[in-house]
Amino acid sequence: MSFIEKLQNIDRRWLYLLAWIFVLYPLINPLGLPVPIQKESTAWNKAVNDIPDGSVVIFSCMFSIASIPELYPMTIATFSHLLTKNCKIIVATFWADGALVFDQTLLKQFDPAKYGKVYGKDWIDLGYVPGAETAMRAFADDMVNTFPKDYINSQPTGSYEIMKNIKTAKDVDIIVSFESGTPGVGEWLRQWNTPYGTKLIVGCSGVSAPGMAPYLQSGQLSANLPGLTSTAEYELLIKRPALAVAGVDAVSMSHLLVVLLVILGNVGYFATRGRKS
Amino acid sequence: MSNVLRRIEIPIALTIIFTLLQVIPYYFRWESDTKLVDPLDSAAGITSQWVLLVVAWSIFIGVISLIQVHGKTVQKRGKGWYYSIIVLATCIVMTIAGLPFPKELGLGINNPVYTFLFNNVQSPLSATVFATIAFFITSAAYRSFRAKNIEATIVLVAGLLLVMSNAPLFTATVPLIKTIGQWIYDIPNMATNRAVTIGAALGLVALAVRTLLGRERGYLRGGGD
Amino acid sequence: MVDLLVLLGTYAGVFFTLGTFTILYKENPWYQISESTFLGLAVGYGVAQQMLFVRQQWEGQWSKSSIMMFGYLLALLVSIMWYFRFSKKYFYIYRWPLAIIVGTGIGTSLRTVMITQFLDQIRAQALLNLWVPTSIYPTTINNICMFIMTPAVLLYFWFTGADSRPGFMKYVDVLARYVMMAGFGSAFGYTVLTRYSLFIGRAQFLLGIPPNLPEAYPVFIVLSLIMLGTMIGYDLMKKNKPATK
Repeated sequence: MSFIEKLQNIDRRWLYLLAWIFVLYPLINPLGLPVPIQKESTAWNKAVNDIPDGSVVIFSCMFSIASIPELYPMTIATFSHLLTKNCKIIVATFWADGALVFDQTLLKQFDPAKYGKVYGKDWIDLGYVPGAETAMRAFADDMVNTFPKDYINSQPTGSYEIMKNIKTAKDVDIIVSFESGTPGVGEWLRQWNTPYGTKLIVGCSGVSAPGMAPYLQSGQLSANLPGLTSTAEYELLIKRPALAVAGVDAVSMSHLLVVLLVILGNVGYFATRGRKS
Repeated sequence: MSNVLRRIEIPIALTIIFTLLQVIPYYFRWESDTKLVDPLDSAAGITSQWVLLVVAWSIFIGVISLIQVHGKTVQKRGKGWYYSIIVLATCIVMTIAGLPFPKELGLGINNPVYTFLFNNVQSPLSATVFATIAFFITSAAYRSFRAKNIEATIVLVAGLLLVMSNAPLFTATVPLIKTIGQWIYDIPNMATNRAVTIGAALGLVALAVRTLLGRERGYLRGGGD
Repeated sequence: MVDLLVLLGTYAGVFFTLGTFTILYKENPWYQISESTFLGLAVGYGVAQQMLFVRQQWEGQWSKSSIMMFGYLLALLVSIMWYFRFSKKYFYIYRWPLAIIVGTGIGTSLRTVMITQFLDQIRAQALLNLWVPTSIYPTTINNICMFIMTPAVLLYFWFTGADSRPGFMKYVDVLARYVMMAGFGSAFGYTVLTRYSLFIGRAQFLLGIPPNLPEAYPVFIVLSLIMLGTMIGYDLMKKNKPATK
């Protein structure tokens, strides 16, 4: 068997080892590759910056723990950005993991009080409600009865100052949702955007990004932040480099590996095809 | 009596009633001067809240099924029965630790056992299971991604351009890559997904009409009936 | 000084992460332990959230009046019907709560799906401006491309499997297939980003890169050597073992 044929039939474990090397090396020795700012992160930054003072924001972690490495950096960056603004933040989710991720992970590394935000007055964590789209519809109709108690103190939701004038979707100005599947953007659009005209911006994992394109073009979705690379750009824009910036060199190297392997595979294919014919 | 209750028409009728209860008030509303709430609308609202309770109580189905399957394996000392013990033990511990009643026992989402298992075992496991796909995708791209014909070549070229446009290494070096990648995302990808979105909407309506006519019974299968 | 429980948690995380990654070498007991643990926990953890919801709902609106209490009791009775799933004789009762959930779900989506995913999309497509003199490239050209491509793909779906197809469809088919291939290529590109992002997150954890604990790194080295050593050692042993007659 020639060298090219051997390469075509190489044990896949050597490819796995290459993937480990291409990812671990830039994490251990950061390469400092430049990160050009692109249109998605600029639009996202603008969308968050343009939230008017006094707005009511629904902040929703609609992802599973499996998606934490990709979505958690954009969640924490956006939350910290929102905390610098004068708006009311209501954290609510329809994925069981989302509530746990927000409470157990984000809040353990991050204290909104340091931004001068008072729980119950400037922000509140309502937790999780099962039922996917039906729950999102119930939430739009009657927020207080859908989440009768808050997640952190387990006190009646209606007793908090922030919820005094917020009862239905009509009282909400914008939804900031981070999602990795269903329920997600389709459900938000069907139950909030279409009936009540609530503005929606969505941070999503890369696999969901192609599906956002029609909603972005039609204007139903105001902004979209797809994946780790865009999150790194956003972290640089808000001057808060963190997890995404730390990982973006590894993104570059891993993508370089994929490109090289695909090209090599095709070169080998055409070379052996010519030989066979 | 039992034969009457077994009839498939009962669940079909229930489906139709609950579907129409949600749809009709959305399109037929009236408001009077005294601001009396549309009774159908409030019925739909309270039903959507009520249904959430029914959904929530179904959670034990998974636990019971798991215990049934793996319990049988342990009982019969089937293949890999010792792994089934791990499955049963972790499931039972997590279920009991997470139950929010009685309050006095300190169980629930803030229970130390629950939070330890969730943060330090389940989180890494769940993330890693999906992370292994990165390797499989790399191997698949090397072995199968071939420019065998025009269509495959288009997929290959578009795929490579999108891979490169997501990597700052390429977009910083050759900005044109991002421009082309963005065009592929905004135009052909958008066209494909718009067609899929419209098709999905029509599919959902077709499914709903079939369900309302009682012709869609896939969700009612099972049980040997 | 790191809390002992936090340290144990980190070690557990490293163990199970590496245990799952060992599948890349081949199926082995480390992987099966991790997989079994994952399965058990995945099924059990959701119970906490759902039951908390049920308890809070009772403490909320459902205990406020006798009619609401009756509604809660009714929900409980209907929920008991779920568990007839495990009975061969009374399986049909399981279908009733399922029918309620399916009906409510379909009705909730059906209310607005035609507006959100159909009319709004058609409107956006129809409002494409095919002549923008101030921006021939990129706006006019892009809009013309979108104007042609979307209906081509829609027609392709529409006539797939149809008994008769108009003559022009052979050109539309070719265009639609090429457009869809470009779309699938785009999906591949983003899938690579997601999957590698997930792996990078795990790698950051194993290397102890902040905010992950740095104590994870030495454990990663030790455990990976042990796991890899046991797997490769076992393979070598099997290879060297003489075949039994």
